[in-house]
Amino acid sequence: MKFELKEISIRAKQEFEMINITQQVKDTVRECGISNGIVYVITEHTTTGITVNEALPCVEKDIMQTLDRLIPENYPYNHNHYLPSYGTIGGNTPGHLKSLLTGNHCVFPIVEGKVKLGSAADIYFCEYDGIKNRKYMIYVMGE
Amino acid sequence: MVIDTHIRPALYAPICQDKEAFRKRCDEMNYHLMGPASIDLLKEQYALADIEHVFLLPEDCSAETGTASISNEDIAKLVACDPEMFWGFASVDPRNADAEEKLIQAFEEYKLLGLYVNTARLHIYPNDPRLMKLYDICARMDKPIIFQAGLCLERNALSKFCHPMEFEEIAAKYPDTNICLAHVGWPCVQETAALLIKYPNLYTNTALMNFDGPYQIYHKVFLEDMGQYWVEHNIADQVMFGSDSPRIRPVRSKRGLDSLNFSKDTMEKICWKNALRFLKREV
Repeated sequence: MKFELKEISIRAKQEFEMINITQQVKDTVRECGISNGIVYVITEHTTTGITVNEALPCVEKDIMQTLDRLIPENYPYNHNHYLPSYGTIGGNTPGHLKSLLTGNHCVFPIVEGKVKLGSAADIYFCEYDGIKNRKYMIYVMGE
Repeated sequence: MVIDTHIRPALYAPICQDKEAFRKRCDEMNYHLMGPASIDLLKEQYALADIEHVFLLPEDCSAETGTASISNEDIAKLVACDPEMFWGFASVDPRNADAEEKLIQAFEEYKLLGLYVNTARLHIYPNDPRLMKLYDICARMDKPIIFQAGLCLERNALSKFCHPMEFEEIAAKYPDTNICLAHVGWPCVQETAALLIKYPNLYTNTALMNFDGPYQIYHKVFLEDMGQYWVEHNIADQVMFGSDSPRIRPVRSKRGLDSLNFSKDTMEKICWKNALRFLKREV
């Protein structure tokens, strides 16, 4: 069994943004030379997410707008208070909650050296608290 | 366009290369668990709030700490990264014998635009004779002054030294010098507002970072602590946008301000016109 971990740096252009990372995942799997196995895509942060959906601008917009409706910016969240451990105010609860809904990872099989995705499935890194320098991991296991 | 009149550049990468100095600064200014950020990243963050210019405020309590947490040289270095965007202020410790000389150097050599004073950290009152000498220089060279006013969250800072009413004497003595009482003097909001209606050379900024999130803080301060029409009808020409970054992300402060639903005219004044007038630049 072979294991391969790649850490990818990423920076959104917007405060809230879905970034299609499908090609990066496919390329990483191809480069690692594993024919049959499994790939995990995992974000390292708690105000970002990894999700899978159809890469249509209208769908992306609906996802982000629905998250905004469910988790409004102006709600009086418990986390909105002075954090002595940081010296800052905790203002990013919506990012934490959107991250909770999206999840922090996705997983796909690798078959004959390729990521086995559904025909309408693309992989997204979701920024909910940008703009920041971020990282996600692509972890490949197989033979 | 937005001008952010209250940014402490403690985490700006170009002045964070010395790890020990960075740690010392963060301890003194009470910033923790945050790392340096590159100028290009910060610019992208500021652009989210339509911020085109920022006041960079230093910190010099070197009589106590040995070296300035953020020196005038640091500010000059950052301004040089983008003089159009970064508008630097000076800070000197009036307890040092060379304070006047350093202030003149900051204005003449480094071309810094005004003076920032934090009496809470200096443990002296605004009318201390050592500070008066610095105000005289500002008056003579036509430079504005920004005072830390109200609660100061930095280490070893005592708010009794920067109660808004302590600045009235300065506002009265220097009527031609523009003076900003930062943070709306929070929690002494009404005292700050009272001084603003009396002294046209007084300004404040919205750099609020205390309770709750920006929507709640801005509502409490500008619509509850102040009467509903105080800003619109009385002091619209004297309030400037300020974020208090890095304690809060500027885009979040801006959302708090936006949520107050001030008129378009008032928003333009708060967002940029008043800041230009404070600097005596053409609006």
